Amino acid sequence: MNDNIVFGQYIYKNSFIHKLDPRIKLFVLLILMIGTFLVPADNFILLSIALMIPLIAVIFSKISIFKYLKSLKQIVFVIFLSFIFQLFGNEGGKVYNIPINFSYANLILAVLLIVIFFLFRKYLPFKMLIFIGLVVLIIYLLRFPLIGDPFKETSIHIYEKGLIHGTFLIERILIIILASTTLTLTTKPTDLTNALEWYLAPLEKIKIKTSIFAMMISIALRFIPTLFNETNKILKAQASRGVDFNEGKFIEQIKQIVSLLVPMFVISIKRAEDLADAMEARCYVPGEKRTKLVKMKCKVTDYLVMLFILTLFILLILIRCGVIYAL
Amino acid sequence: MFVKLENINFKYANNEDLILNDLSFELPKGCMLAILGPNGSGKSTIAKLIMGLLKPTSGHIYIGDEELTEKSVNHLRKKLSIIFQNPDNQFVGVTVKDDIAFGLENLKVERSKMQEAVNQYAQMVDMSEYLDANPENLSGGQKQRVAIAGALAMQTDLIIFDEATSMLDPKGTKEIIEMIKTLKNSHQKTIITITHNLEEALFADKVMVLNQGKIVLEGTPREVLKEKTILEASGLKLIDGLFLIDRINNSALEESQKKVLTDKLWELTFKM
Repeated sequence: MNDNIVFGQYIYKNSFIHKLDPRIKLFVLLILMIGTFLVPADNFILLSIALMIPLIAVIFSKISIFKYLKSLKQIVFVIFLSFIFQLFGNEGGKVYNIPINFSYANLILAVLLIVIFFLFRKYLPFKMLIFIGLVVLIIYLLRFPLIGDPFKETSIHIYEKGLIHGTFLIERILIIILASTTLTLTTKPTDLTNALEWYLAPLEKIKIKTSIFAMMISIALRFIPTLFNETNKILKAQASRGVDFNEGKFIEQIKQIVSLLVPMFVISIKRAEDLADAMEARCYVPGEKRTKLVKMKCKVTDYLVMLFILTLFILLILIRCGVIYAL
Repeated sequence: MFVKLENINFKYANNEDLILNDLSFELPKGCMLAILGPNGSGKSTIAKLIMGLLKPTSGHIYIGDEELTEKSVNHLRKKLSIIFQNPDNQFVGVTVKDDIAFGLENLKVERSKMQEAVNQYAQMVDMSEYLDANPENLSGGQKQRVAIAGALAMQTDLIIFDEATSMLDPKGTKEIIEMIKTLKNSHQKTIITITHNLEEALFADKVMVLNQGKIVLEGTPREVLKEKTILEASGLKLIDGLFLIDRINNSALEESQKKVLTDKLWELTFKM
């Protein structure tokens, strides 16, 4: 199994979070997502309260913190880019000037650092984090001309508003990623789809076969790890024939990815055909009523969690509407 | 007769060649039939036709007394189950217990009975320790055992093994062969095993050899094994014992000695 891919992985632990009803967990995630976007702009106190919820869930889930960090690793670049856009896209408040002095020695050093990074990136862990650190280091080094006088002097203006907006956005993304990762790591895909089916059940009354939709999601989640394993095998098989997915020009890289995508599609279609036969052979009729092995039942703790989240949500709406001015 | 195929012809819509050519056979309840043949001989097509996953171009299929048609297929499938070749592609559930229960959920079995059946059949295939295990953490043989438990839990009369051992390592293959033997001897199930491995056919009641969509040989395992030329012409790998029997028969030994030795070898072959 590809350990870098956290989404779709369920890790069994005997924890309070694991034992929560999947419907409640789905409800909490939904409320948390809506709540995160309802928090008034730049209100860090409210957003920090929202961040506490997934953090508490992470601690109580008894799952290694590294698993959660791995889920963040996938989107570090997106977070970084969003932060940069916010940083330079907002003007207002206090201005911080970062002097940039372009001297030949500094530029040579910056180019050297980038070249060294690209030469050794194959062997580096947390490549994206190191790259971001490198960019920050280069900007910092450009403040001081190492040898000789700079041939161009300029400065970067960072506004307080940009900094605040950027940090606020990172915190929002962090809440959503942590909450959704906690949900998928602590809930079996079948339980998740059962919960989804339960929420969508009213649609059955208007002749929408929600059970088919739930089955599709369940199978998709079931096959995520299998398909990642398959991708790894194809990657290794193509690499053994000389394909390097990390090297070459952009066009060459696109061509190399095609050599991965074509066998992946062929295998997936074959797999889908076989699975459809296996399901049909085991008397599965799409849309027909089925019984369930697991019965979802809310316990007192589930109701308490729901009550707690709802209370926080109502308070947030009251603050948002201006009824409460406390925070 | 429990399964009866009558003058079955089958070809795919985009291909003019017949995959099965005027094929007929019968299988009584409680009997085990081994269908042998090289790749492309139409073995798996027979399995899919019996399961109602494919429709014959012409001919009739009967399960029990009822003809398999589009109308009766959903009802008749409750009597049939199949274990496919690729253990990964038939594992629907996210855990072992979910997968064993999948068929029962479709049959609308009550929750309490379902839980009981899952535990009972998981124990029968020696998988009760893995009820919450993820399929990614199981070996091929274990996944096939889960598929067998799922089929047994549905309490079908007929179980088809469609090259169920071809993707397994020797240990997994042995486990599944032992399982088939147990099902035949202790559970009195009607079994069809499809294979290109002669050793898997040794304990069947009846063996049928297919080549290019036609039955080229049928009889008891011993009768079939004697037809070395036809088996070789059908692209099947002969078992070691047959070569020894051949060498004894062509040797300069006395007839009485030859008989004793070959009888002993036949006995050992079927004891394997």
